[in-house]
Amino acid sequence: MRDGASLAQRRFRDIVPPLIDDAYTLAKWLCRNCADAEDIVQEAAIRALKALETTAVDRPKPWFLAIVRNAAMTWIGRNRPQGLAYVGDMADLDAIDPRLDEAAPDPEAALIALEDGERLRQAIAALPGSQREALIMRDLNGLSYRDIAEATGAPIGTVMSRLARARAALAKTLKAEP
Amino acid sequence: MSTEPEDRGLRLNAALDGELEPMSALKFERDVAADPALAAEFQRLRSLRDAVRRHAPREAAPKGLADRIAGLAPAASPPVAAVVPFRRPAWSATRALALAASFAVLGLAVGAGVTSLRMQSPSHGVARSLVSDFARAEIAGQPYDVASSDRHTVKPWLAGRTTVSASIVDLAAQGFPLAGGRVAIVDRIPAPTLVYRHNEHMVAVTELPLDARGAHEGGGIETIDGYHVARWFDADLAYVAVSDMDEKTLADFVAAFRQARQLPAVEKR
Repeated sequence: MRDGASLAQRRFRDIVPPLIDDAYTLAKWLCRNCADAEDIVQEAAIRALKALETTAVDRPKPWFLAIVRNAAMTWIGRNRPQGLAYVGDMADLDAIDPRLDEAAPDPEAALIALEDGERLRQAIAALPGSQREALIMRDLNGLSYRDIAEATGAPIGTVMSRLARARAALAKTLKAEP
Repeated sequence: MSTEPEDRGLRLNAALDGELEPMSALKFERDVAADPALAAEFQRLRSLRDAVRRHAPREAAPKGLADRIAGLAPAASPPVAAVVPFRRPAWSATRALALAASFAVLGLAVGAGVTSLRMQSPSHGVARSLVSDFARAEIAGQPYDVASSDRHTVKPWLAGRTTVSASIVDLAAQGFPLAGGRVAIVDRIPAPTLVYRHNEHMVAVTELPLDARGAHEGGGIETIDGYHVARWFDADLAYVAVSDMDEKTLADFVAAFRQARQLPAVEKR
């Protein structure tokens, strides 16, 4: 038991500290910039330390970000907005999200040169959960499609379409409010 | 592969993300060269991606969070330390110095809230935590949050952020000009920390209330992971000074600091 704990600590020191910035960024976006991102990451770190007693990790980044994601979902589940039925997965949030309509695949070039970062950030925050997480993991955390699939437990084709829809939705939102 | 609009979108995104197989990527490049509409669409997608990265950048975790997480798996006090007290690794001095910084950053911090998990004296925990702060600040190249050699700038900055009123003394004449100030978190309490310079070296003095954990411990100079740590207290406050200066110079600094503190002319309160 003691050995397991000290082995876990050694693994933890190698794996987790370099990923804290990524974890924090992801947590912030998943819970829509909530003040609890720190708690989410800390909770994830505690879970990771526990898991490392029995697990050796091949590819730390998708592994740890998956834990952060799950910790964030626990948080979202506990703090969901009133009237929102929540079952336990980002995809469930999509199912009741009115914004899920197919987005126009053809964004205007003009709007993309926008300087209004705040509007873009709001548009990202307004994305359905599963699309937002795919976008953040890809563009901010720099995960590959395969890593995102691993971290979210979704098939790679699903990851691809979430990402494509997220980007199309951003383009559409930005176009709609010039 | 079908050529439906959805697949077209997936392919554009995959190309943008560098996820196409080499042969598919080659085909995509040729298609883009032959199809201006496709090229324009690809360019818009790229601009959007760049805008996302620019306006929603990856953020650095707050230092307190990094410290708490490092504190979950402290490198310097593995559980065996409780069984074999005071056993220190038989490193050469050079190696110890080389490793000290990385260890400090990785795991020496005693995070608020995990202190109770550590099997060591509270005072040692405080000193370690401050050594960790020092090493981190040094490596980050940002030894202070407010940079000023003027104590009338540093004092109000610290006063707005801490509960202890910093006693800032001017030691430039003794060879230790003020470089700036920062806030250290000791036992969840923000504590003012003054950074003085000596040639290319630094010393960071953290002031703690006398009732802080471990405030009365120590005395003299000890070495933690290659850094020298001096601790003392006077009637009002306890002090912990961490430095990369040699022991003798640190002792000189402490003497100068204590003497300056006792002079009535020095800024009070």
